[in-house]
Amino acid sequence: MALTLTCPICGKRNGYEFRFGGEDKGPRPPEEGLTPGAWCDYVHMNNCTAGVQKEWWFHRDGCGSWFTTWRDTTRNLEAEPPEANK
Amino acid sequence: MNRLNQLPTLRIDPAVNHSLTYRGRTYQGVAGDTVATALFANGVRIFGRSLKYHRPRGLYSLDGECSNTCMEVDGIPNVRAENTLLENGMTVKEQNVKGSAERDWLGFMDKLDWMMPAGFYYKIMHKPAAIWPMAMKQIRKAAGLGIISADHKMKGRYDEQFLKAEVTVIGGGAAGMAAALAAAQSGRRVILLESRPHLGGCFDYRVSTTSDGTPLHERARQLAEKVKQTTNIRLFEHTSMVGAYNNNLITAFQVGKADDGFTECYIEIRSDSVVVATGCIERPLLFDNNERPGVMQVGCAHRLARTYGLLPGNAAVFSVGHNPGLEAAVDLFDLGLKINCVADIREDGQDPALLLALTERKIPVLKGWVATKAHGSKMVQKATLCTIDGMVKRQFSCDLLVASAGLTPVSGPFILAQAIMGYDDHTGYFLPDQLPEKMFPAGRITGINDPDAIETSGRLAGLEAASAAGADLWTKVAETRNALAAMPGPERGCKLVIAPVKGRKSFICFDEDATVKSVKQAIDQGFDVPELVKRFAGVGLGPGQGGIPGHNLPLFVAKYTASKETPKPTTVRPPLVPAFIATYAGYNHHMFKRTPIHHSQKADGGIFRNIGVWQRARYFTADVDCKEEILNVRNNVGMLDASTLGKFRIHGPDALKALQRVYVSDMGKAGKDRIKYSAMCNDDGCVIDDGVVVKRGENDYYFTTSTGRAGQTAEWIRYHTRYDNWDFHLVNLTDAMGVINLSGPNARKVLTKVVDIDLSNEAFPFSGYREFYIQDTIFTRALRLGFVGELSYELHVPSSYMQAVWDLLTEAGKAFGIRNFGVEAQNVLRMEKGHIILGQESEQRTNLLDVGLGFLWDRSKTVARTVGAVALRQAANDTGRLTLVGIRMEDDARPARDGSLIVDNKVRGYVATMRRSFTSGEAVGMALVESQLAGAGTRLEIFEDECNGVRIYARVVPMPFYDPEGERMKS
Repeated sequence: MALTLTCPICGKRNGYEFRFGGEDKGPRPPEEGLTPGAWCDYVHMNNCTAGVQKEWWFHRDGCGSWFTTWRDTTRNLEAEPPEANK
Repeated sequence: MNRLNQLPTLRIDPAVNHSLTYRGRTYQGVAGDTVATALFANGVRIFGRSLKYHRPRGLYSLDGECSNTCMEVDGIPNVRAENTLLENGMTVKEQNVKGSAERDWLGFMDKLDWMMPAGFYYKIMHKPAAIWPMAMKQIRKAAGLGIISADHKMKGRYDEQFLKAEVTVIGGGAAGMAAALAAAQSGRRVILLESRPHLGGCFDYRVSTTSDGTPLHERARQLAEKVKQTTNIRLFEHTSMVGAYNNNLITAFQVGKADDGFTECYIEIRSDSVVVATGCIERPLLFDNNERPGVMQVGCAHRLARTYGLLPGNAAVFSVGHNPGLEAAVDLFDLGLKINCVADIREDGQDPALLLALTERKIPVLKGWVATKAHGSKMVQKATLCTIDGMVKRQFSCDLLVASAGLTPVSGPFILAQAIMGYDDHTGYFLPDQLPEKMFPAGRITGINDPDAIETSGRLAGLEAASAAGADLWTKVAETRNALAAMPGPERGCKLVIAPVKGRKSFICFDEDATVKSVKQAIDQGFDVPELVKRFAGVGLGPGQGGIPGHNLPLFVAKYTASKETPKPTTVRPPLVPAFIATYAGYNHHMFKRTPIHHSQKADGGIFRNIGVWQRARYFTADVDCKEEILNVRNNVGMLDASTLGKFRIHGPDALKALQRVYVSDMGKAGKDRIKYSAMCNDDGCVIDDGVVVKRGENDYYFTTSTGRAGQTAEWIRYHTRYDNWDFHLVNLTDAMGVINLSGPNARKVLTKVVDIDLSNEAFPFSGYREFYIQDTIFTRALRLGFVGELSYELHVPSSYMQAVWDLLTEAGKAFGIRNFGVEAQNVLRMEKGHIILGQESEQRTNLLDVGLGFLWDRSKTVARTVGAVALRQAANDTGRLTLVGIRMEDDARPARDGSLIVDNKVRGYVATMRRSFTSGEAVGMALVESQLAGAGTRLEIFEDECNGVRIYARVVPMPFYDPEGERMKS
C-alpha cells in the first residue's frame, strides 16, 4: 500500500497501520424525532467523493486514536484540505 | 568449450567447478555462470521451444527479457535460466517439447502458422461448440510454457524487508552508482538496487575508455568499490525492482546467495525520492527468423565473451544500428571471433574511431544495410543482408548473427509510477512527458551514451534526489547541470522499424509467438492501437511483458496505420519481471497468542485449536465428546483456562457515558460488588458482543468482552465516542491478566483452601464480585458467574501469577476430583444451560431481540444515543425475523450437526449448536428459526450435508435443558 497517513500523535506512518473509519458525517443525530430513513442515511449512505474528502482513520497498530484527515480518493494519497475548509 | 580465462572483465571463477544435470547428462560449469551460460559452454544452443509454433529458441538477450531460456530448474518451471546463477547439482529440463529441444516432434507446427492467424482462438472452434472442450485440451497440451504439478511444494525460505530510505537508486550501472555516491555524500540514507548479481551495468564488460583513459570495466569496479565502502549506501545486488507506486513506494525482490538466510527476499522501500538509472536494453531487429538460435543481441554476444569468457560463435555477421554494436564487433574480433561483415542500418553518423578500428581489422562495413533473413533450420547458417530500401541483397555464411536495431530505455519504473509517456523524436525513445514527483532519470535512459556524461548525469540525479529529500545542494545541482550540458548529449537513434520483409516469420514478440504478419492481421481487423493489438495478437502478454516487443510494437503500429499521432507504448504492470508468489507470500505466518499457562495445559494433554488469534485447549482426551470432562464439572469440579477473555478497565469522569453509549443496558445500575451482564450491538442492532461490567470505584469500571471481540473493543468504544471529546481512559488488560474458571459443585471447597475470606453463598452470592489476595500475595478479582450452569468462580489474576494460582488450585482440588476441561466441554455445558455464544448462536444479521436478550435493552436511555438502539426500536416491530429456540431431536441417538439447515420447501433456519447431553441423555441444542416455527412443539425438518435425501427431525422445546431454575449455579 502506497498510502501514508499522518497521525496527530505518531506522525506520518505506513498506511498498513491504520483502519479506515469512513467519511466524516458528523456526530450521531439525537434519537428524539429521528425517522428510520434519516437514521439509515446517517449509518449507510456515503458521498463517495472522487477527489479530496475528510475521513476518519484509526491508528490500530499505533497509539489507538481516531482522527480525521483529508485524502484524495482518486490518487489514494493524503491531501491538503480544499481551500473552503482551511 | 575453452573459456577465455584471463579477461579482466570476467565475472566467473574458472577455478571453481559447478555441475548440473541436463537431459540425463552431467555438465560442468563454473562459479559465476548462469544456468544458461553453463549450458552454452557445453554446446547447448537450443534451450526450448516456442509457445505456438514450437520453434527452436536460444540465447538472445542474456537478461531474461523473453521466455527463450525459460527452463525447469530443480522442479520449478519457467525459471529464466539466463538470470539464474548456477548452483552445484542443479537439475535442468527443457520446456514445451515433445521429445527434446533439439528434436521436437511438434516442430512441424511452425509450418501450420497459416492455421493460426491473430486471435484464432477467439474465432475458430466455437462451432460446433461441442468440440471446443476437446480442442482446448489438445491446444493446452501442445502450447504453453512449463508445467507445474498440482501438488508442487515450493522449497526455500522467503523473507521480507520493509525499508525506509531518503534516496532509492534503481540500477547499479555507472550512472546509478554515481547517483548513489552523490546522494550519500550529503548524508542521506541511500538504497541502491541492481538486478544483475554484480554492479557495473553497461560499463562492466566494455574495454573502451573514459576521457581520462580508464577502461570502462575498471571504472565500474572503482565506483563499485566506493559504493561498498560508503556506509550510508545500502546495496542490494541481484535485486530486481518489480513495482513502483505513488508516494515513491518501491518494491523489489532479492535473490539470495548461498550464504544468505533466504532464497528470495521481498523488499518494500518507502523512499523520499527515487533515481531511475535502469539504462537501456536493445530494440530487437525485425527480420525473417530473427529469433533463430544463433541470432542474438549485441549485449548478449559481448557479455558472453567478456563476462563469461565464452565466444558466442565462430563466424559472425553483425546487423546493428548503434555505436555499441560497432564497438562490440571490434572487441569480439580482438577476442578471436571471425567477422564476415558488419551491416549498419545508419547511412551516416557512426563514431569515426570505431569505423577506423573496423577498417584496420579488415572487417567489411556496409552502411545503410540490414539483415533480412537468417537461414538454417535449427541454427543460423547463413544471413541475407540487404540495403534498407530492399533493392540489393547479399548473403554471408555465419553461425552467429548479432542483430540489434538500437537501444531502448528501460522505462518500466516510470510507467509503473504512472508517468504519461511521450516519444522523443531525436533518440526514438519513449520517455515520460512529465516526470513523476521526486523521481529523477540518470544515465543511458536519458539517451546519452558518452561514458563521462553517463557518470555526470548520475551525479546530477543523485544531487537532485538528495535535495528533494531535504538536503540543500542546489548550488551543486546547478554546477553539475552546467557540466553535463557541456558534454555530449543524447545521440540520434536509429529509426528503422522493420527490415524490408513481409514478416510472416519476423517475430515481434517471442513469448507469444507473435509475428509482424499477425500484428498486421490484428490491425486489419480493426485492433489498430498498440493496447488492442497487444491483447488480440498477444504481443507482450508473456512473462517478459514489454521486454522484446515494448518498443517495436507502437512503432510498427504507427508505421502500418500511417498514423500521424505520437506512438504510445503499452502499459507494463507489476511485477515488472517474473517473481515467485512464494516471494510475495514471505514467511508462512502462523501467528497466534498463547495463554499464560499454555505449557502446563499442553503437559496435561491439551489438544489445541486456533480460535481467533489464540491457541486454546479444546479437549483433554482423545474423546471428542468430552464425556468425562463434562460429567466431572457436573459432579465434582473442573478448571478451564479462560485467559482469552477480553478484559478492560475504563476510568475517568466520562467513563460511564462511554459505557452507556456502547452497552444496551443502563450501565448506571452497575454496582460495586455486583456484576452486570450486558451486550453491545452495532448500528444495525445486530448483537456483536456480551460481557460483564463491574464498578470498582467512582468513575472506574472493569469489564469483559468475548474472546473474539477483545481486539476491536478499544477501537469500537473510541469510534462511537469520537465526536464527544469525553474524558475517559481505556486500558486493554486482556494479555495482562489470566482467567481461571473454577466450576462444579465442589468449587467452593477448593477455593476455600487457598483464600481466607468468607466464601459462603451469603457472603459471596451468585452475581457477586469480590477482590482478595490468594496466599496474601496474588491480587485476585473473583466473579461468581454461571456460564456452565454450576457453582462457578471466575478468577482474574495477573498473567505472571496464572501458573501459581493454577497449581495451587490443582493441589487444593485433588481431594475433590478436580480436572481440566476444555473449550468443547464448556461449549456443551453452557449449551445445556441455554447460554449463548455470540458467533455460534448468532451471525451477522442476528439482532439482540432474535437471540432472546431483549431484556438487556433499556429503552429509556435515549439521551445516551446508544449504538444500535434506533435500529432495535424499528426491529422490535419486524415480523419474519429468526428467533433462537431450544430443539430436541426425535431420535436422541442422532444429534444434528452444527450448522445443519432447517427446511421445508425452503430454508427456514439452521441449527446453531447441538450435542447429545450426557446429563439427560437427550439430543438437544439451539437453533435460529423463522419466528413462525418458534412455537413449542413445532416439528422441524433438518437437512444435513451429505444426507442423501434423508431428513432428520426435531421439535421445538423449552430451554434451558439443565437446571431450569438455576439452583445449582446459585447454590
